[in-house]
Amino acid sequence: MSTTTEKNSLLLDPTFMARLDQLDVISRKLLAGKMKGERRSKRRGQSVEFADYRNYVIGDDLRFIDWNIYARLDRLFLKLFLEEEDLAVYVLVDVSKSCDYGVPNKALYLKKVAAALGYVALVNYNRVNIVAMADGIVAETGPMRGRRNVSRMIDFCAKLEPTGTSLFGTAGKRFALANRQKGVLIVLSDFFDKSGYEHGLRYLAGGKYDLFCVQVLSPQEIEPDLQGDLKLKDMEDDDLAEVSITGPLIKQYKANLNAYCLGLKEYVTRRGGTYLFTSTAVPFDTLVLNYLRERGLLG
Amino acid sequence: MPTWFPRFLNPRDAAIAAGIVAPLLLLLYFLKLRRREAAVSSTLLWKKAIQDLQVNAPFQKLRRNLLLLLQMLLLLFLALAFSRPVVNYSPGAGSLTVILIDRSASMSAKDDGVKSRLDVAKAKAKEIVSSMDSNSSAAVVAFDDSAETVQAFTTDGSRLRTQIDSIQPTDRRSRLKLAYQLAEAQSTFNPNQNRAIIRPDVFLFSDGRVLDADDLRINGNVTYVPIGSENTGNIGVVSLSAKRNYEQPTQVQIFARLANFGPKPIDAQVQLSVAAIDPDKPGELNFIAKPGGFATVTLPPARWFDAKWVAEHPKQKDDNYSTRESVEFNIDLTTAAVIKVEQMNKDGDALAADDTAQVVVPPPKQLAVLHVTDGQNPYMDLALSSLNLQNVKKITPEEYAAAVPIDYDVIVFDRYSPKTLPPAGSFVYFGAYPPPDVKLQPIKEDGVVAMTSDVRVVDWKRDHPILRSLSLARVGASEAIRLKPTLDSQVLMDGVNGPLIVLHREGRGTHLVIAFDVLQSNWPLMQSFPVFMHHVIQFMAIGSEMDVRESLAPGSTPRIPRANLQRQGEPPKQLTISGPGNSVKVDIPPTGDFALPALNHVGVYTLSPPVPQFERMAVNLLSDNESNLLPITAPPGNIGQAIVTGQSTSRLELWWWIVACTGIPLLLIEWWVYTRRVHL
Repeated sequence: MSTTTEKNSLLLDPTFMARLDQLDVISRKLLAGKMKGERRSKRRGQSVEFADYRNYVIGDDLRFIDWNIYARLDRLFLKLFLEEEDLAVYVLVDVSKSCDYGVPNKALYLKKVAAALGYVALVNYNRVNIVAMADGIVAETGPMRGRRNVSRMIDFCAKLEPTGTSLFGTAGKRFALANRQKGVLIVLSDFFDKSGYEHGLRYLAGGKYDLFCVQVLSPQEIEPDLQGDLKLKDMEDDDLAEVSITGPLIKQYKANLNAYCLGLKEYVTRRGGTYLFTSTAVPFDTLVLNYLRERGLLG
Repeated sequence: MPTWFPRFLNPRDAAIAAGIVAPLLLLLYFLKLRRREAAVSSTLLWKKAIQDLQVNAPFQKLRRNLLLLLQMLLLLFLALAFSRPVVNYSPGAGSLTVILIDRSASMSAKDDGVKSRLDVAKAKAKEIVSSMDSNSSAAVVAFDDSAETVQAFTTDGSRLRTQIDSIQPTDRRSRLKLAYQLAEAQSTFNPNQNRAIIRPDVFLFSDGRVLDADDLRINGNVTYVPIGSENTGNIGVVSLSAKRNYEQPTQVQIFARLANFGPKPIDAQVQLSVAAIDPDKPGELNFIAKPGGFATVTLPPARWFDAKWVAEHPKQKDDNYSTRESVEFNIDLTTAAVIKVEQMNKDGDALAADDTAQVVVPPPKQLAVLHVTDGQNPYMDLALSSLNLQNVKKITPEEYAAAVPIDYDVIVFDRYSPKTLPPAGSFVYFGAYPPPDVKLQPIKEDGVVAMTSDVRVVDWKRDHPILRSLSLARVGASEAIRLKPTLDSQVLMDGVNGPLIVLHREGRGTHLVIAFDVLQSNWPLMQSFPVFMHHVIQFMAIGSEMDVRESLAPGSTPRIPRANLQRQGEPPKQLTISGPGNSVKVDIPPTGDFALPALNHVGVYTLSPPVPQFERMAVNLLSDNESNLLPITAPPGNIGQAIVTGQSTSRLELWWWIVACTGIPLLLIEWWVYTRRVHL
């Protein structure tokens, strides 16, 4: 087995990849692509499927004149046809330090999901761009298309290391400016941003993208197993919080977490996006094969 | 306060410890808490939770800190255990305690066959020491027929226990009076005693077999702890006597009496054995059973003869039981020997010290008697010849004065007062008196011996061996010498005008003076006269080295006359006393008589170098009181209170109950709370 294949097998094993071959990324909106792919685009071009008429102007191609309408109305009209386009799939994966936490590790989980989504998109001839974000855009694959780029994509995902703090607003803005083509945007993150997730999502949930937000948390964040008198240290900014773990504190934390997640869900869905919450305790293949299909991202 | 209510042996120290540690624990919790660092992905939601709850209020921490509560409880229970609460089933030690431990012969009895009564007493005494408060002090006195302060008053419990363990048993008898006096003296002069007089708490550990129970008094609170079981069996030799027949010196007669102090009648075998003494190997004694030296005794329990016991235990006495308690042996013994009488029923016999009794028999010797007379006393001749002595020589006073004989055991002076005497011996004077160098002299008036004409007997010592069984009331004489007895003299018979028979010992001589001439009396015509002569010769023969040595009681300190030390030339400067189990060297003072150290154990003791008449000494228990192992339940002399026997424990220490039942569970709960993250 080659080194590349070995690395690839760390994130995705061949058996799982074989199952992913049967899936495709689904977009609720028909979006125009730059190349003819396997998607219907709204843009009118040349194909065999009639779309609409317009008045003839000097210089138009005489082959597309509808002579039946000229016979009846004694006026010249041009036929317009639908054009097939490829789908842009963006995977925005959070690689901030806060993701390097938990058992199972959030960062590894996110990388696996990103690799799986990228694989599905590539094998279906979609244009894929894997973008790593933290306090900005940390790295990206650039647009890729076709099965021949699978190894490169997986390799990119495997090499991603947690770094930096979470500045979702900065990352979101830069992504939106750099990726103007519409497409499916899957954001993989814990969405723990002290400056607020709203700032970043505002750039991403504006209609240009078919937005899917997948919030991933570890079991230790959902059900903390801390005890005693502690000095909690933020992994991103080394911020300290002195606590004495008691029942009411844990209860309050969970309530706050629940409210935070609900708030995020409401924000995303109100803006036409799709929100999905999961834990790293859920096997990522279950997430990909079941949950993402149920939510309409894959099919 | 009822005894079930616990008392605290160490309350002050426990209170001090709790008073220091508890506030420290609280202070630690009030102060900045030790927090360990824990990494989290984000403090975003934690800070919000903290803010919402305001959990940093100090009293809220305390109120909800289960661990602090558990630790405080644990601390308090440990302080309680440290205060050493005890529940006393029986009285414990007070502030001033004297512990009296009986170490006499009966305390060597093993009621269960394993532990002796002394071991049990020591264990119970150590329990009392353990119940002492930190401010209490105690002393330990061991007693038998003497008393010894083993440990003066001290608060050091471990020292007391060590000294209690050091007490060794003896074979001596029990007397409590001296021990009580010593205990009282100890507490009176205790330097640690407060100005207010404190009656000491006296704990007496004994089986109650003391000889002086009717003569006891003590200023103290006495608690008597009886030791021993009433069902313990014991057969003991309680009496032994042996004597050579001076008429047939090779024959020895032995008389022994045994007693059964167990609960049931028993037949016992008695064996006589003899160990001939080899002059070349004086320390070796090989006892050999004598043919004909077996006898059987049938012994009823001694308690059958106790009216009180019989009344309390009706129908247990067998009135038809035939008893044979005594045995008699006659043996031929041509050498010096040690004779041993031993009861052979050892199974179930709790006390070994009284199973045997021994007696030392010197070699037989013909009694040499010299009769110094002018030959005109046929009564005396008849009396002496009737004694069937082997060797009676008769000489005249002139022959005596010409050459004072030195090889006679007894010299009878018949109406002749000698001017000199041999250096040692026994001398009988009839109508005569000793030479001037002897202190016993007649009264002289103008240099003439005073006589009295009214010679009638007023009284005589009926229990003296010389005069026993004699009727002397009608003895009279025409005149008698007026004697002047000294402090060393013993008047055996008193007449109207002064002593008539005086026994005087001085130096190496024994002098028996009969103040009147028998020819001038009616005595020779009485039956008592030949009997008297027989008694005199037999009594005087005791000092002739041929009679059986007197048996000594345990604890005796035999006094060796200087004359005996000098008999074989220059007296030694040191003696070695070899006895049961050990040898001791003692220094001999340069002048005067010399007393040996106490011979505390039964057996035969040997002196080296040998001292005449003290080469070997037999020590025997021969005590009904010590052989009787039935413990006395009432306090001796009815002084104090007795603890009920049979209790397995006198005191219950609660500290380990507290540790086991509360301390350890609290520790486990605290561990569980800490590890399982239990929250209120």
